[in-house]
Amino acid sequence: MMTLTIAIRNIFRHRTRTLITLFTIAFGCVAIIFVHGFFEDALREMRDSYIKAITGHLQVCKRGAFDKGFARPLDYIIDAPKDIISLIEKTPGVRVTSSRLVFSGLMSTGENSVSFLGQGVEPQKEQSVICRSSEDFIKLMRDRSFDKPDVGGVTIESGDSLEAKDTYSAILGKGLAKNLDIKPGDSIVLLTNTVGGSINAVDAKAKGIFYTGAKAFDDIALRVPLSTAQTLLRTEGVNNIVVRLFKTEDTQRVKELLEKAFKVHSWDLEIRTWDEMSDFYTKTKMLFYQQLFILEFVMTVVVLLSIFSTMNMAVLERTSEIGTIMALGTKRRGVIKLFMYEGLVLGIIGGLLGMGAGWVVIKMVSTIGIPMPPAPGMTFNWISQPDAPAKTYVLVFFLSVVAGLVSSIFPAYKASRLEIATALRGNA
Amino acid sequence: MSVVEVRQAAKTYLMGQIKVTALKGVDLTVEGGEFMALAGPSGSGKTTLLNLIGGFEKPTSGSVRVKGTDLAATSADALASLRARQMGFVFQNFNLLPVLTALENVEYPLLLSDKFSASRHRDLARQALERVGLSGHLLHRPMEMSGGQRQRVAIARAIVVEPDIILADEPTANLDHTTGEEILRLMKDINRVSKTTFIFSTHDQKIMDMADRVVRLLDGAFVEGA
Ligand SMILES: Nc1ncnc2c1ncn2[C@@H]1O[C@H](COP(=O)(O)OP(=O)(O)OP(=O)(O)O)[C@@H](O)[C@H]1O
Ligand SMILES: [Mg+2]
Repeated sequence: MMTLTIAIRNIFRHRTRTLITLFTIAFGCVAIIFVHGFFEDALREMRDSYIKAITGHLQVCKRGAFDKGFARPLDYIIDAPKDIISLIEKTPGVRVTSSRLVFSGLMSTGENSVSFLGQGVEPQKEQSVICRSSEDFIKLMRDRSFDKPDVGGVTIESGDSLEAKDTYSAILGKGLAKNLDIKPGDSIVLLTNTVGGSINAVDAKAKGIFYTGAKAFDDIALRVPLSTAQTLLRTEGVNNIVVRLFKTEDTQRVKELLEKAFKVHSWDLEIRTWDEMSDFYTKTKMLFYQQLFILEFVMTVVVLLSIFSTMNMAVLERTSEIGTIMALGTKRRGVIKLFMYEGLVLGIIGGLLGMGAGWVVIKMVSTIGIPMPPAPGMTFNWISQPDAPAKTYVLVFFLSVVAGLVSSIFPAYKASRLEIATALRGNA
Repeated sequence: MSVVEVRQAAKTYLMGQIKVTALKGVDLTVEGGEFMALAGPSGSGKTTLLNLIGGFEKPTSGSVRVKGTDLAATSADALASLRARQMGFVFQNFNLLPVLTALENVEYPLLLSDKFSASRHRDLARQALERVGLSGHLLHRPMEMSGGQRQRVAIARAIVVEPDIILADEPTANLDHTTGEEILRLMKDINRVSKTTFIFSTHDQKIMDMADRVVRLLDGAFVEGA
């Protein structure tokens, strides 16, 4: 107890030096908390924009379609989707569904043709999320509550978006339109195989040009109303039901619910979650966490060196005090304990300060928001609102305490090996 | 049994290539209850001899026994225990812990020895400070006290564990004459009442005159009193 008292009082003997050390520890903590919070937010931003713009939370297809159907979408059409859709929409946690009919074909302007990936979509269901501007899109992305049914949200760059009443109209991905130099209002011809195997073509009007978060998609995609796609392919079916939930965290739970229900009805369907459909998120997450680890490592080393230098100086300054307490009968263990306590207390106080300061910084920054350039693979700007999870705060505290202990091991050992006579003479 | 038995103790230091002989093989016996002065000019080996008796360092040759224990054959931890239980120390520079109050400084050695139960530590420390006339300064830090008061705290710290022997290396050298004599009278009083053995070094003639026995060192050898 007395040892702890002495350790704490010794720490506050050199106020300035102690403050600098504590500041260094706290700064390290804040840096880790902030960057962690920032990465978490960027990851969430990326995840949500993928979900909102491209994959939805879940997609339902005929069995096998996910693995083999990409090249031959017409082999995997759900012929009577009505009952399935109403079952899905009644499942708790589901916000909305929207059906798509995916097909491929050739688009031509007369002189030139280019192949495309077509999506027949339901404008009345996706309408509310098709944004007019990137500001709208950012607003939508920041809306974490998923209030709006925004499956397949795309941003219209020029022209108009699809509406429920549209029939022979299409909106084109930015890259695809550029390829054939198509502007809103231009006429295009879409050529494709029907479900029956014959060839069908329609004249359509390019109503607008869109972009999503993903450039690769924008380079090949075009969208037409579902009814137009169904006419073109001569079918009543769809091959993909996109499911949007209220909360991303519910994804797995809803998937299991749906799988059970499909089994009951003996529907031969398959469900994929957003993360199964895109490993981009998982890979980026790994990359982010590797960078974070490097930062944590560097910060811990800096903090370690800072405490080490403080403790080392303390041992030098207090040579005669160490000699005195050893002369009075303090064992080497006792000397080690004294200095380890000092390091420990520095780590604890610094860690607590760091947690507090980190929390304040995070709250301040997320209130203001940092405008950010597009995340990797994305085409839109976003506003970062860093928010570190509780485990980050625990981590920085733990790192501070460990750094305090580890960095005082050597100075403490050095102090304990002093010769009493030499240490006492050092003062005289 | 003698409290201290020094037999043919020699100490040489190596300063680079040069050998410095601090003690040339001295013999000294101190009996319980003695009040003994160690005199001699600067560099004569007073501190070195006290360090050997306190077990702070080991003789290059010869032996030092305290209450029959051969210090050279004792481990560092056992020496620490021996000091905590049976020895008190007073230094020229007082050597109080600056972060502790007078009371805490006096309490400190009690924590190192298992002689007294923890519940009595505070009271014993208070009594020791009373004994040296500082009952009004229990909560003062060393920085808030005069040299004489600090040395009184140091004496209280030395007597609080009721040791058999107190070693004091020039306890008055940093004090003016009057205060130095007061400190020595206090030590003498403790010696008389508690029968604690005192060995203190000094080069002040007046202080030497207060001792029961004076041992004189010159160039690492006794010239008188051993
Ligand atoms: N650690 C050491 N290394 C080298 N020489 C030393 C060491 N300690 C003491 N000496 C030498 O040993 C001799 C005796 O020193 P000591 O300190 O015992 O003398 P002293 O009588 O206490 O002197 P003073 O009155 O100045 O305190 C001196 O010559 C001193 O220089
Ligand atoms: Mg000396």
